[in-house]
Amino acid sequence: MLEIKELNVSYNGTQVLKNVNLKLEKGQFLSIIGESGAGKTTLGLSIMGLVEGSCSGAMLFNGRDLLSMCEDERRRLRGSKLAMVFQNVENTLHPLYTIREQIMEAVLVHGADDKRKALAKVSEILALVKIDGDRAARYPHQLSGGERQRALIAMALVNDPEVLILDEPTASLDAFTKNEIIQLLNEIAGDKVTLLITHDLAVAAQLSNQMAVLYGGRIIETGPSEKLLANPRHPYTRGLLRSYPGMDTTKDLQGIPGKMAHNVTGCPFHPRCTQRINICAQEAPELVDNGRGMIACHRGGIIPLLEVKKLSKTFGYYKAVDDVQLTLYEGETLALVGESGSGKTTLAKTVLGLLRADAGAIFYELEKVSAGDAKFRRQVQMIFQNPRESISHRMNVFQAVKEPLDIHRLGSEEEKLALVREALEDVELPSDDNFLNKYPHHLSGGENQRVSIARALVMKPRVLVADEPTSALDASVQAKIIKLLLNLQERKGLAILLITHDLALARKASDRIAVMLAGRIVEEGPTGRVLAVPRHTFTKSLLQNSRVGQLCPG
Amino acid sequence: MKGPTTVINYLIALVLILSLNFILPRLMPGDPLQAIYGDEAIIAMTPELKAELVARFALDQSTGRQFWAYISSLLRGDLGYSYFYNAPVLAVIFGSLPWTVLLVGLAIIISTLIGVVLGIESGYRRGRPLDRALLGVLMFASGFPDFFAGILLLLFFGVVLGLAPLAGATTPYAGCGGLTFLTDLFKHLALPLTSLAMVRIASPFLLTRNAMVISLGEPFILTARAKGCPDKVIRYRHAGKNSLLPVVTATGMQLPHMVSGALFIEIVFSYPGMGSLLYNALLTRDYPLLQGILLVLTITVLSVNLLVDIVYTRLDPRIAYAY
Repeated sequence: MLEIKELNVSYNGTQVLKNVNLKLEKGQFLSIIGESGAGKTTLGLSIMGLVEGSCSGAMLFNGRDLLSMCEDERRRLRGSKLAMVFQNVENTLHPLYTIREQIMEAVLVHGADDKRKALAKVSEILALVKIDGDRAARYPHQLSGGERQRALIAMALVNDPEVLILDEPTASLDAFTKNEIIQLLNEIAGDKVTLLITHDLAVAAQLSNQMAVLYGGRIIETGPSEKLLANPRHPYTRGLLRSYPGMDTTKDLQGIPGKMAHNVTGCPFHPRCTQRINICAQEAPELVDNGRGMIACHRGGIIPLLEVKKLSKTFGYYKAVDDVQLTLYEGETLALVGESGSGKTTLAKTVLGLLRADAGAIFYELEKVSAGDAKFRRQVQMIFQNPRESISHRMNVFQAVKEPLDIHRLGSEEEKLALVREALEDVELPSDDNFLNKYPHHLSGGENQRVSIARALVMKPRVLVADEPTSALDASVQAKIIKLLLNLQERKGLAILLITHDLALARKASDRIAVMLAGRIVEEGPTGRVLAVPRHTFTKSLLQNSRVGQLCPG
Repeated sequence: MKGPTTVINYLIALVLILSLNFILPRLMPGDPLQAIYGDEAIIAMTPELKAELVARFALDQSTGRQFWAYISSLLRGDLGYSYFYNAPVLAVIFGSLPWTVLLVGLAIIISTLIGVVLGIESGYRRGRPLDRALLGVLMFASGFPDFFAGILLLLFFGVVLGLAPLAGATTPYAGCGGLTFLTDLFKHLALPLTSLAMVRIASPFLLTRNAMVISLGEPFILTARAKGCPDKVIRYRHAGKNSLLPVVTATGMQLPHMVSGALFIEIVFSYPGMGSLLYNALLTRDYPLLQGILLVLTITVLSVNLLVDIVYTRLDPRIAYAY
């Protein structure tokens, strides 16, 4: 019904929309999400024919190209067949006319010659959006934000359009009003083509059945709303979700490094992407089907960095790790939770090659890891539970942090010193000579753990396997270390396999949770979902027992 | 409406003006009678007349009584007696007032209407040739003092081309009525009206144009366009109406300037309005007449301001609440 083909829009030299393709059928409710400046509103305006810049491409509405129509023809479609609801900011409604007059005008400009019929139409629409006649006779400044938004919706709906574009219809509304507007929008969408432009992911989730993520003027990911939100595949989509405080968000908020720029060659997101490779800066990726939606990413979306396939480890007759399958994606935290003795540490050690697996395989960046694989050893680092045991007391800070560089023979001594200092700064420790010459027994528990993190970071790893990294520390130091790791994750795309028995910690630090019981993974899923709706009985009892962790037991 | 507060404010202003008008002649050095009636009356003064005047102004009584006498005579419509015209001041003023009301009123209406329409069209085409041309022409026209424009018009159309009469408001002793009277009236009015209005188009024009440029960037314009409103509707109904607001205020404030402009114009064209009257009263030191003219003018300005306030509330519903 509405098909957008290779739409390009530019405002004096800046390309705001690039090669946008969308196909919308009756009854479809699509949300366009993305940061401000991504071109969301421009997309809406260009469908309406209200965009200031120059458009190229094609926009087929019921088989006719909107872009090749003359202005008068487009005007007659505006407000009758294609309607747009704007965000209720100051003066979106004309301050000098009453609501009824303004809605009435929308009917009259489209040539309703029977004034009585037009009046009936207006009354009908006012009843639909639940504005009573007395309120409609008032001026915009006499109404509340919610009422004004309703009036704007009524104005767009009064001619029963086929395409409805909603531009941030709920921004700046309180929770009650927002909910009312959402319900109203749900009722009226019906068999129209509805396009919701928003940065409010929760509203998009409640209203739309399809989503498209717009970044730097390009659509970078599309898919069914539920799947896209539960399992984003583009690193930008994941970044958006991580920055959005939903009521069911559990992990600490993380942002996206850098800021959006236009006129970027290659993939528009590559300057901010933590998994970019050379081609990302050179060519813009095509939007391709990935089975459940479309994605534009040279790497096919967030890459699985570390894959554990059918891994088993037995000690004698005791199966410590039993046929475990796990995938750790770039830039995410996967929490491995379970009681002590469930095989978590054994799994970690087997993954790292510290223990030889009896069966199964490890894949790093889609390649099978063989024994003594130097790249794997460099890029996958481990932090142990007890820093006093994991750092030799015979080495000072400098030697301890430098040791992995020595082993892998990386760089000259000066370069190593620079790398050590950088790693210490990354973990917010002093990097002066005085500190470098200290021995573990000079340092506090928190400082020692930071040194061991610095030792892991000095190799610039992509994956960090952290086995109870904070269980020996008090809460304030734990908070700092976890924040540090999450910051590194945000900035560098570090993937973390967090092994812990502390569900409260896992809840705040992880994107996904895998629950381990007697060597097996019994449940795995997004942290919010697993904690809210546990499926396995063990997860349920684990949650039940973790209730002790509530600060306000009610 | 802002209701009683506004009316009370205007009443306070009126009382202040009346008091000033009352106090000023009494503050002058010497005989208040001389100050009130000027030298001419003093020369012709007989003891009987003097006694009558003293009684009339209650000059032998307290200041409060004098003020009361002043106010009550005003309420009776008695503004004093002009010895120069040998007629009551009110009658003299009413002889001239209609001509000035006709001239100034029409000039204000015409200049504002033309200014607003041109301003809307110009603001809508900001930066395009028509806008630039209008801006240039109107700025040039507004550069002339009105009496100079009047002289030029008089020379060209009156003297050289002989298309318009040189002086007066009507042809004296023509005694015609109906349509011929109206054409005669218009012929006399055309030149002073043109010169008065011409130089004043620029002000409403610039205001409207500015307001138009700002209005066109407002979100409600986008809303109107999304509704499918044609260009003309957006220009006038949406942006235009919104741009009218500052013009209404400015027009009200223009009035005093317009009156002073009319003073010169009426003299240039020998137009029998308040301007000529004021000029003659000044020359002959006809103090009662001067005072009367000033009073009438100030009350007119006050009423026009009140009118603007009322119109404004009609135009902009938000004003009713803002105070």
